[in-house]
Amino acid sequence: MNLLYSTLGFIGVYLYVSFASLLWEGIDRKVVARMQRRMGPPILQPFYDFLKMVSKESVVPRDANKLFELAPVFALAAAIALLAYTPLGFGPLFETKGDIILFIYLLTLIGFIRVLGAASSGSPYAQIGAQREMIILVSREAPMMLGIFTIMWRIRDLGVSKPFSLHVLYEHNIWEIGTPMSIIGALILLFVFMAWLASEIETGFFDIPEAETELAEGTMAEYSGRHLALLELANAIKAFVSASLVVAVFFPWGISGYLGLTGLPAMVADLLFHTLKVFAVLFVSMSIFRATSGRLRITQATNLFWTRLLPASIVGALLLVIDMLGVIS
Amino acid sequence: MTGRIEYWVKVPVGPIHPALEEPEKFIITIDGERIINVDVKLGYNLRGIEWIAMRRNYIQILYLAERMCGICSFSHNHTYSRAVEEMAGIQVPERAEYIRVIVGELERIHSHLLNLGVVGHAIGYDTVLHLSWLARERVMDILEAIGGNRVNYAVNMIGGVRRDIEDRHVRAIMDMIKYYREEVMPNIEEIFLYDPTVEARLRDSGVIPRRIAVDYSAQGPTARGSGVKKDVRYNEKLGVYPDLGVKPVTPKEFTGIIKGDVFDRMVVRVGEIWQSMELIERAVDQMPEGKIKTVPKDNALLFQLKKAEGEGIGRYEAPRGELIHYVKAEKGRDGPARWKMREPTFPNLFAIARALVGEQVADVPVAIASIDPCLSCTDRVAVIDANTGRKTILTEKDLLKLSIEKTREINPGIRGKPEVVGIGCPRGDVL
Repeated sequence: MNLLYSTLGFIGVYLYVSFASLLWEGIDRKVVARMQRRMGPPILQPFYDFLKMVSKESVVPRDANKLFELAPVFALAAAIALLAYTPLGFGPLFETKGDIILFIYLLTLIGFIRVLGAASSGSPYAQIGAQREMIILVSREAPMMLGIFTIMWRIRDLGVSKPFSLHVLYEHNIWEIGTPMSIIGALILLFVFMAWLASEIETGFFDIPEAETELAEGTMAEYSGRHLALLELANAIKAFVSASLVVAVFFPWGISGYLGLTGLPAMVADLLFHTLKVFAVLFVSMSIFRATSGRLRITQATNLFWTRLLPASIVGALLLVIDMLGVIS
Repeated sequence: MTGRIEYWVKVPVGPIHPALEEPEKFIITIDGERIINVDVKLGYNLRGIEWIAMRRNYIQILYLAERMCGICSFSHNHTYSRAVEEMAGIQVPERAEYIRVIVGELERIHSHLLNLGVVGHAIGYDTVLHLSWLARERVMDILEAIGGNRVNYAVNMIGGVRRDIEDRHVRAIMDMIKYYREEVMPNIEEIFLYDPTVEARLRDSGVIPRRIAVDYSAQGPTARGSGVKKDVRYNEKLGVYPDLGVKPVTPKEFTGIIKGDVFDRMVVRVGEIWQSMELIERAVDQMPEGKIKTVPKDNALLFQLKKAEGEGIGRYEAPRGELIHYVKAEKGRDGPARWKMREPTFPNLFAIARALVGEQVADVPVAIASIDPCLSCTDRVAVIDANTGRKTILTEKDLLKLSIEKTREINPGIRGKPEVVGIGCPRGDVL
């Protein structure tokens, strides 16, 4: 019976997140357009695009192999599977002991599947895009993983049931430790996470694999019709999920407790509030970042990750460690 | 034994590509992200303008010249007018020269603002594109007020100008300059001189050293960005420009160093917008009263030109560099016997193709945008073989074969085995 409820909840969450992530895409386009003093498309434009693309013919290049057509399906499947392990204002639906590992694995898998699809398309633009995506994929994970594991390890000390499950983020959070050093460390890690989020959704500095003017949409160059629609949906869900991680780690507070709700209504209220927080995080990391910066070269971006963000992440982690072990007291 | 395997890939940028505003083709051989070789192919924008011109008279060609390119429409018909004036020995009234300066500099402002936006777009900084093009609307409005049209303003006439600049135009121009000085230019300078993202992307990319700029005869901001002091308005003492104190703008006056990269070219453009505004102000102050055309009636002018004989060359510093028109007249013919032009984009394209070798793929769009290529100016000639009634289309391979045969015919001693470079046209029937 419990499994049935979880499955029904999972389907509901999937439908809701698909809607919310496409809606955010529309809001983002409108907001950025207003920043650039344009009118911008209607807010529902991504939905129109999606429905239109689903009904269009999908052109497969002559040199493409089977993986080219399978990649969008796999990418969407990975994105849906990811939703089961995503904190959405409440703990993950199918929470297990170490679901943070599974979460990071699935998140990386989407990028990897896109690389596979692009490499199978036979287009030189997509090949270059795939190379770039691979390089940036390797670079961006290290600072984020160091940050999240340090935080989880720090929270474990506050006494939780399942360490390294994303559910612990809703039991305790990093701010409630309250010592100055932990707050500084957490702020540094917040900055690292925002940069990681921008690179995960490939905007601003990190719009490198899909660089429109350089590679004609890079990894997505050869996709059209249904396949493109699936990939776009997978990307939108991925953006929402990545932002959800940042929200869950740094801003986990719900509102159901204040409203006095329990059970299903509490979950719905938390989900809605969580969506608002995700939009706020994405507004900073996606819209503002996109409107105020250009694209870097791939060498500069890799440099940024290894020589700026990774040291920042190490410093943040060390501050938390020193604070906990009490080296300086 | 190096043991290194090279994976060279040929990537065509163009004829249709999001980085390019007009059809042209760069075949780029890359090894990973590094560029090994760049091959330029032109000829995707042929419209047979010179062929059309052979069926028109001198005055009709003015309006045809204007339609060669949307951005430098004034430059083309100005240069053509200068060539015809030199050929027929027509003196231009001084007021007309001043009006030409004002409209020409207005056009330079709008062309440079356009290019600043395009370069912003090439590095993915779309806000720059939208805001600089928004600022550009103001100068387009002024041009519309003067010439009656946003793009093809048809101001020039052989031996003068067709439209006078009145007091209301002067007031509008002064308002516009004030707006640009106070609101637009500080922001533009902040973006193109001090913004870290822009500097990270534009510095040291697409470097054209001074020697290559001289060897390949680069023109305009491309040459000046590399430190070559080359400006037709200054070197040739064109028209009334010496009275207005024009000087070639080099990046040295702004940043203190000359590297010849994309950043320097953009600095030159920013400097030239400032310079153009000063030139317009001085021209408006010094503009004398008087007539604006030497020959008031068009048919009288045409009659005079029909009797003229000889050849003339017009030179002018278009926003992209030096533009040259050559006109050859035959007595008794109401149009030129030969009309030929050389656009600044042509030498610049090869200079930039040379500069791209060794750079990254990411630099290709921004480097190409930095010379502000104007392909519709560069491609105009169509060769049509109409000996027989049958229509034959020569493929690229046929043309190559013909040219090899011709070379052997001229110089039988030549050796070597030329072959088709680049990808070419796979189907062979579309040139």
